[in-house]
Amino acid sequence: MLGWEFPPLFSGGLGVATYGLVKSLNPLSHIRLIIPTAGTTNDLNGINVIGLNQVSAEEINLEKLDFSLQFQHTEVHRLPLLLSPYHYTNQAHSQHEFVHTHFSKDTLGKLKAVHSIFSGNEIYGFNILHKVQLFAQLAEDLAADGDFDVIHAHDWVTYPAAIQIKKSSGKPLVVHVHALETDRAGEDTRNSIYWMERTGLETADRIIAVSAYTKEQITKLYQIDASKITVVHNGIEPAPRERKGHQLKDKLVLFLGRITHQKGPEFLLETAEKVSRVYPRVKFVVAGMGNQFAHLLETSAYKKLGSKFIFAGFLSKSKVNELLSMADVYFMPSISEPFGLSALEAAQHAVPSVISIQSGAAEVMKASLQANFWDTDKYANYIHALLRYEALGKELSAKALVELDQLTWDHAAKKIMNVYQSL
Amino acid sequence: MPSICFYFQVHQPFRLRNYDCFKIGYEHFYEDEAKNVEILNRVAEKCYLPANNTMLQLIDKHKGDFKIAYSISGTAIEQFEKYRPDVLHSFQQLAQTGCVEFLAETYNHSLSYLYSKDEFIRQINSHTDKIKDHFNQTPTIFRNTELIYNNEIANFIANLGYKGIICEGLDHLLGHRSPNFIHYPTGNEKMKCLLKNYKLSDDIAFRFSNQGWDEWPLTAPKFANWVHHVAGNGETVNLFMDYETFGEHQWPETGIFEFLSHLPQEILRHPDFHFKTPSETINSYDAKGEYDVHDLSSWADLERDLSAWLGNSLQHDAMERVYKLEPIVKATNDKTLIDDWAKLTTSDHFYYMSTKYWSDGDVHKYFSHYNTPYDAYINYMNVLTDLEHVLEIRNETILGIRSWETGLSDKTINDPNP
Repeated sequence: MLGWEFPPLFSGGLGVATYGLVKSLNPLSHIRLIIPTAGTTNDLNGINVIGLNQVSAEEINLEKLDFSLQFQHTEVHRLPLLLSPYHYTNQAHSQHEFVHTHFSKDTLGKLKAVHSIFSGNEIYGFNILHKVQLFAQLAEDLAADGDFDVIHAHDWVTYPAAIQIKKSSGKPLVVHVHALETDRAGEDTRNSIYWMERTGLETADRIIAVSAYTKEQITKLYQIDASKITVVHNGIEPAPRERKGHQLKDKLVLFLGRITHQKGPEFLLETAEKVSRVYPRVKFVVAGMGNQFAHLLETSAYKKLGSKFIFAGFLSKSKVNELLSMADVYFMPSISEPFGLSALEAAQHAVPSVISIQSGAAEVMKASLQANFWDTDKYANYIHALLRYEALGKELSAKALVELDQLTWDHAAKKIMNVYQSL
Repeated sequence: MPSICFYFQVHQPFRLRNYDCFKIGYEHFYEDEAKNVEILNRVAEKCYLPANNTMLQLIDKHKGDFKIAYSISGTAIEQFEKYRPDVLHSFQQLAQTGCVEFLAETYNHSLSYLYSKDEFIRQINSHTDKIKDHFNQTPTIFRNTELIYNNEIANFIANLGYKGIICEGLDHLLGHRSPNFIHYPTGNEKMKCLLKNYKLSDDIAFRFSNQGWDEWPLTAPKFANWVHHVAGNGETVNLFMDYETFGEHQWPETGIFEFLSHLPQEILRHPDFHFKTPSETINSYDAKGEYDVHDLSSWADLERDLSAWLGNSLQHDAMERVYKLEPIVKATNDKTLIDDWAKLTTSDHFYYMSTKYWSDGDVHKYFSHYNTPYDAYINYMNVLTDLEHVLEIRNETILGIRSWETGLSDKTINDPNP
């Protein structure tokens, strides 16, 4: 299995999903998991986790690696574009150590360079494409023994590796789609990541999509035959949490996630404007950061909605949980959301959700209020109803909890085993 | 000398228009006229007109030996008056034959008995007035909305002067006894209950076109034969069903009209069998047993209980909210407002909010014009909030009642600064 994010180092849904899945697949299969960065320990008995930050010189072929290009740069010119497909952090990006360090081109130097590239806390970062290529080369070495039956690759970052391993080993490839470049950058995107995804999807023997919505996107935007795609909804770890509520006079509507085009900040703004008109005692709490943040902030001020918004910035998991335990409504107006774990986490906190139909969460959580991502009148009508008619939120959150009980990783793992066995 | 007692339910609700939060406080017309007309036209063409025509021919053909009964809700009659006088006219033709009885029910097809006896009686009286106006009959038999029933209701109805009441024949209460006899409700031996024979009724209403049913296809001789088996072990076979069974639930292509056309002659082929209206049935036979119903029952779904209208907290919330307005609405003495409010008591609004089986998509979905039960609740509550708003303004300006005296919290009103 080829992954990218894995505890302790993960930034978004991919890490949570990979972990949940590996844990439930473990009793059913033997997994060798290759990831860029592994922690010093993992709590999963029997799983062989290999991090490229820790590989030994014997495991990989350092001879073929050529770092010369990389190390001729002593200065890196950054594009304002951040190649961070899942998560945006607002921290100032320090240039990586290896850029300044001149590694010698001998074996030890190269090994140090590899460890260095895959250490650090930046999972994606500006040199992501380089990492992806390097990961592919090294993963192929790590799989050279051919002692496995199936290659299972999570998202585009692992596809080049998966394709190479499939070529050299002849083993069947299952690619697991947690998100698509078309989700992140829009339906019309045809950039290099799109083509990497498309090649991976075309090469794959079977595809696992995290939602029927994603399956549809794969067939529509990547022209892949639907018959090789199986929908396996993510599970969610049970986490009964206390509901704190709040004593504020205003009701709280929570928006959680990156403030990027994909998450629909302009629809958030329009909806907030409409809700405030019919229910003035409301605050929209925005927890997250992203390249649309400044725009959202400025436009809200321009529309004189400043008092309706609380911008909480990027929050730690515990702060997010605290907010969830207080919020009255969870709002996810995403333009394209392959799964949308956060809506399910909101449900775990008994927060009723208003979410876009263009999401995987809409499929698994019928007890939510759903509108097309652009339909801000409907969003507003729903949020207004949740704020005003208390029975609605109670009914929805009670029903959603029942739905969450069905959504286990064990169930997902069984479906994935069926996919393996069909190969 | 056993008899067959046919009763058909005719009902159309006033469906609400798409009423979002932006309309609250501004727009006070709640009906979706276009949808109501569209559905009424469809059902009129597919069911009411052809079925009435068939009934008329059968009555004519059998020279008074074929008899039936209808319960037509006030909201249905009102829609006939407004949009399809031809349908009303064809029911009037049936009334003139002397072979058709009209039953009493609540004008708005509501669950008012459970929330307000005053309103319950008011709605029965309005309905009776309507029936008298159009059909020149005063009903003597009562049927409650969706056959919602228990001992208490039967006794209440008896005290209003009715001689009989229609109810579901529930296996678990009847035990080994047959629904094919008149019963009396616990507490009143003079009152009579007509128990629906749900097996034979549902053979027509639900199973008629089911090709997976081992009795399919159901023919008139076959059904008549089943009915004839009652001879010696029953006095009345009560076949109660929605009138829309003919042509709407069971499409014409299924042969339902041919079945109906041939059924009376097949049943009357047996010299001992006759058709009787509900009041004739009650006058002809003595009660043979006690029917003891403590818990509220109905004819709906498998559960035969109230869960279709009061199965979740949304339905309870909406129901409680609408009846809470009763004294305030009535204090206005404004007929239009009272009518608007009473239309909101129609059971269908609450049925649309039912979440049971919803995810499977079933019969509830078929009868609802909402995408989800949550939409149904939200739309209803928005309308109710507007009505509260209208009442609030009226009370403040006309009656001089301040909002806190009406018992409504400030929150419920679309006040710019709640």
